[in-house]
Amino acid sequence: MRKLSNLFLMLSLLSFAAPAFAQGGEAAASGGVNWVAIAAGFSMAFASGICALAQGKATAAAAEGLARNPAARPGIQLALILGLALIESLALYTLVIIFAKVK
Amino acid sequence: MHEQLWFTAILNHLFAGPVTGLLQALHIAPKYPDAPIPNSVAMEVLVFLFLVILFAMVRSRLSVDQPGALQHIFEGAHGFVEGQSHEIIGHHSEGFTPFLMALGFFILASNLIGVIPGFEAPTAVPAVPLGCAICAFVYYQTQGFKHTGPKYLMHFFGPPMPLPVLARIPLMALMLLIEIASHLARMLSLTIRLYANMFAGDMVTLVFFSLVPIGVPIVFLGLHIGVSLLQTYIFVLLTTVYLAGAVAEEH
Repeated sequence: MRKLSNLFLMLSLLSFAAPAFAQGGEAAASGGVNWVAIAAGFSMAFASGICALAQGKATAAAAEGLARNPAARPGIQLALILGLALIESLALYTLVIIFAKVK
Repeated sequence: MHEQLWFTAILNHLFAGPVTGLLQALHIAPKYPDAPIPNSVAMEVLVFLFLVILFAMVRSRLSVDQPGALQHIFEGAHGFVEGQSHEIIGHHSEGFTPFLMALGFFILASNLIGVIPGFEAPTAVPAVPLGCAICAFVYYQTQGFKHTGPKYLMHFFGPPMPLPVLARIPLMALMLLIEIASHLARMLSLTIRLYANMFAGDMVTLVFFSLVPIGVPIVFLGLHIGVSLLQTYIFVLLTTVYLAGAVAEEH
C-alpha cells in the first residue's frame, strides 16, 4: 500500500516532465500529445454527466410515485434500485474502456 | 519475487508444485512458476473456507425452540431472498432460493474481504465476476430448459405474432440475432458492473490515500462497504429477473 502510494506521488510529479514524452514515437504519441488520455478524460466526464441526468430523472419519478401512493413502496423501491444500477453500469462501461486503453 | 499477500504466500509455499503440474498438464504456463496461485484465487479459497465454516456453524446450531442469533440472521436473509424471488418470479420460486443465497453470500464475502488490510477482494479482477456471471447464466438457462423442455428455445424467436408465416420468418431471424446478443450482453453487463464497482473503489481509495494518508481513505472504505452490499443485491436481483424471464409462463 505504501509502495503504491509512493508510486502515485511520483507519477504525479513526473507529469511535469512533459518534454520527455516528445521522443521519436513508435505508434501514435510522436508529437508528445497523448490524445488517448485527453479523449478518455472528456468521454468519462460526458458519460458521468449523462448518467447523473438519467439517474436524477429516475429518482425524481420514484419520489413522485412514492408521494402519490406510499402503499406501493416495495414495488417502487425495487424499480428504483434496479433502474439506478442499470444506468450506473452504462457509465462504468466507459470507465472500463479507459482502464483498457489508456496507458 | 513479486508482491504477494501473506495468505497467497502460504498457499504457494504449500501447493506450488502440484498446481504448476496441473497447469502444465492443461498447457497453461503460469507467469511465476514458483508462485502459480494468484492473489485472487487465494482470496477465493479463503472466502470459500470461511463460508463453509459459517454454514457448518449455522447448521449445527439450528433449533426450533431456542433460535440463536446466527439462526435469526440466516432466517432473515433466507426470508428476504425468498420474498424477493416470489415477488419477481411468482409461483413456485422456492426452488431457486438456495442458488441465489449461495451466490449472494459468495459475492458479499468476496467484496467485503477487500476492506480488511492484508487481504484483497477477489472480485477486483475481471475473472471472478465473470465466473459468477457464467454460473448465473448457466443456471437460468438450465432452469428454463427444465421448466419448459426444448420449447424453451422458442423464447429466442421473440413473442408470438399473429402474422402469416412468410412475414414471420424474417422477423424471427432478426429477433433470434437480437435475443442471442442480448443474452450474451447480460453476462457482460453483470461482470463489468461488479468488476468496475470493486476496482474503481480500490482505485479511488488508493488515489486519496496517496493525497491524504490520514482520515480521508476511511470515507472511501465506508463507501466501498456500501457499494459492496448494493452490488451484491443488484447481482442477485438481476439473476432473479433473468430467471423470471426464463421460467415465465405465457397465459
